[in-house]
Amino acid sequence: MNSVIELKSVDKEFKVLNRHEGLKGSFRDLFSRDYKIVEAVKNVSMTIEAGTIVGYLGPNGAGKSTTIKMMTGVLQPTRGEILVNGRVPYKNRTSNAQNIGVVFGQRSQLWWSLPLIESFKLLKDIYKISDKDYKDMLALYESLVDIKELYSKPVRQMSLGQRTLSDILAAFLHNPPIVFLDEPTIGLDVSMKAKIRDLIKALNKEKNTTVILTTHDMGDVDALCERIIIIDKGTMLYDNDIEHLRNFFGAYRTLKIRTNKNTEVVSEEEANEQLEIIKSKVASKFPDNDFIYGTEEGWYSILLDDSKIHLMKVLSFLQEQMTIYDVRLEEISTESVIKKIYEDSERMKKQEKAEVSHES
Amino acid sequence: MSKLGFYLRIYGKIIVQDVKSKMSYRSDFIISIIGILLTDASELLAFYITFLNFPSVCGWTYHEMLFLYGFSLIALTPLQCLFDNNWNLRHYVYDGDFIKYCFRPINIFFYFISEDFDTKGIGQFLVGLGTLIYAWRKLGLSVSFISIALLVVALFSASLFMIAIMNIAAATCFYLTNSGYVIGTMSKFRDYAKYPITIFSTFFRLIFTFIIPIAFIAYYPSLVVLRPENIPLLTWFSPVYGIFFFYISYKVWMLGASKYSGTGS
Repeated sequence: MNSVIELKSVDKEFKVLNRHEGLKGSFRDLFSRDYKIVEAVKNVSMTIEAGTIVGYLGPNGAGKSTTIKMMTGVLQPTRGEILVNGRVPYKNRTSNAQNIGVVFGQRSQLWWSLPLIESFKLLKDIYKISDKDYKDMLALYESLVDIKELYSKPVRQMSLGQRTLSDILAAFLHNPPIVFLDEPTIGLDVSMKAKIRDLIKALNKEKNTTVILTTHDMGDVDALCERIIIIDKGTMLYDNDIEHLRNFFGAYRTLKIRTNKNTEVVSEEEANEQLEIIKSKVASKFPDNDFIYGTEEGWYSILLDDSKIHLMKVLSFLQEQMTIYDVRLEEISTESVIKKIYEDSERMKKQEKAEVSHES
Repeated sequence: MSKLGFYLRIYGKIIVQDVKSKMSYRSDFIISIIGILLTDASELLAFYITFLNFPSVCGWTYHEMLFLYGFSLIALTPLQCLFDNNWNLRHYVYDGDFIKYCFRPINIFFYFISEDFDTKGIGQFLVGLGTLIYAWRKLGLSVSFISIALLVVALFSASLFMIAIMNIAAATCFYLTNSGYVIGTMSKFRDYAKYPITIFSTFFRLIFTFIIPIAFIAYYPSLVVLRPENIPLLTWFSPVYGIFFFYISYKVWMLGASKYSGTGS
């Protein structure tokens, strides 16, 4: 496998004016030279192989957009090396642009007042796409989505979903080795989301295009990403494939049981009482385990780490203690894992801070 | 050269498409043209009324002033038609939408400017041409191949100056958050372009020649045709100066664009 993107300990710092509060502060800011350095990206390294779909995740303001801007050649890294298709992007912005496709959030890059097909024709000229490649690409598009009816529609008049679809097609039109998609499904309805995901997947398969995808929608991640990179506060937290992600904090699984025949008759109080009983029984039998309990619609759930204590052991113990009418096992969702990663990094940061302030 | 051809071909296609889409809004298109015709007509009327009371201004006759006015209208047409998107630049930069211009394998300045063709300029051009021809005939100026050629060169270099001024004014938005005042103020200077520079005091003459060179928009270049017996050195110099000044403005614009990094999304 050959790598198409390579980042080696990349830092990006911004110089920001230290702003003061209030009107008086604003006047002071006019003459102030009091800058502080904000580290948007810290020591990020990654190697991405051709043809993979990578989910680049992180909370708002984590440094995702900054990294993508560096990879697309819009920003220059403060330190470190970036190679995209073997080129340094910020030094060769135009030749880099020839070999990437970009869809940036809800900002359409198509000509606002032109019908879609005219935008495509202009892109054909700009990227110097041959007649044959252009025709083949349109044929492929037509086989994947109902794009024909959009050809004569000006982008301005399109719905958000149609526009996103068009923007993605435009980004793939010159068949670039890499496409960056920044929150492509934001604001879309469920069926449009599914359509967009299918399209991305199909284009990736058909053309072996590497896709770097940032999103807050775990549905996108589950449907598309083979590999996940998580970044927060500029630092990389996780970089591996999606199977490993679920085991990142151990093999978490949820055991759900129902102890009543009929779910409707259980009131909230009764449910909580029953949960307390289960809790105390399980806790006394399996001490030193931090299970997470919950109840919902007559179901009692226990989240446990399968690698530490086997789920079946807990289940058979409970079966001895009470009558169980129904059982369900659930894998932990990507969403909860990622939420846990974000929260853990938050907690670690706070601990570090506390330690530092304790020492001084 | 093939690069120039590449850009011209794309430019032509974008403009044709843009004009086509603008014309599809028929009433909008017609009203905007009538609007600019009325604006220009009212200015001409003001001219006429002024000269009913004064036979000349600083030795400039009514028809000579009309000539300058017509000349300046034509010289400002390329700015109006082709570089009008500069007015929107600050909104793109402020909202972070400017980033979309950074992802194409073409020159950013070209890509941004090519996006909009303002059809209002067509009306302005027609008024300017009519005024110029009328003044030309009334002044009894000779019509020869040379005089027409000189006029075209003069118009070309004149048009570069206001474009350059507006490029720089628009580019201030890369450095200032509230650059609307700069571009607004600078565009007002074009109103002074239609007057002969000799009516101003020495101080303003120097400013309008070297700092904000609006004297080159009509006054200096039009002297080639208007008063061929007494052409100042600066007139001959104006095409070179125009290209130079345009180049500087382009560099300022591009420097601003390279400084730009967009807001997060």
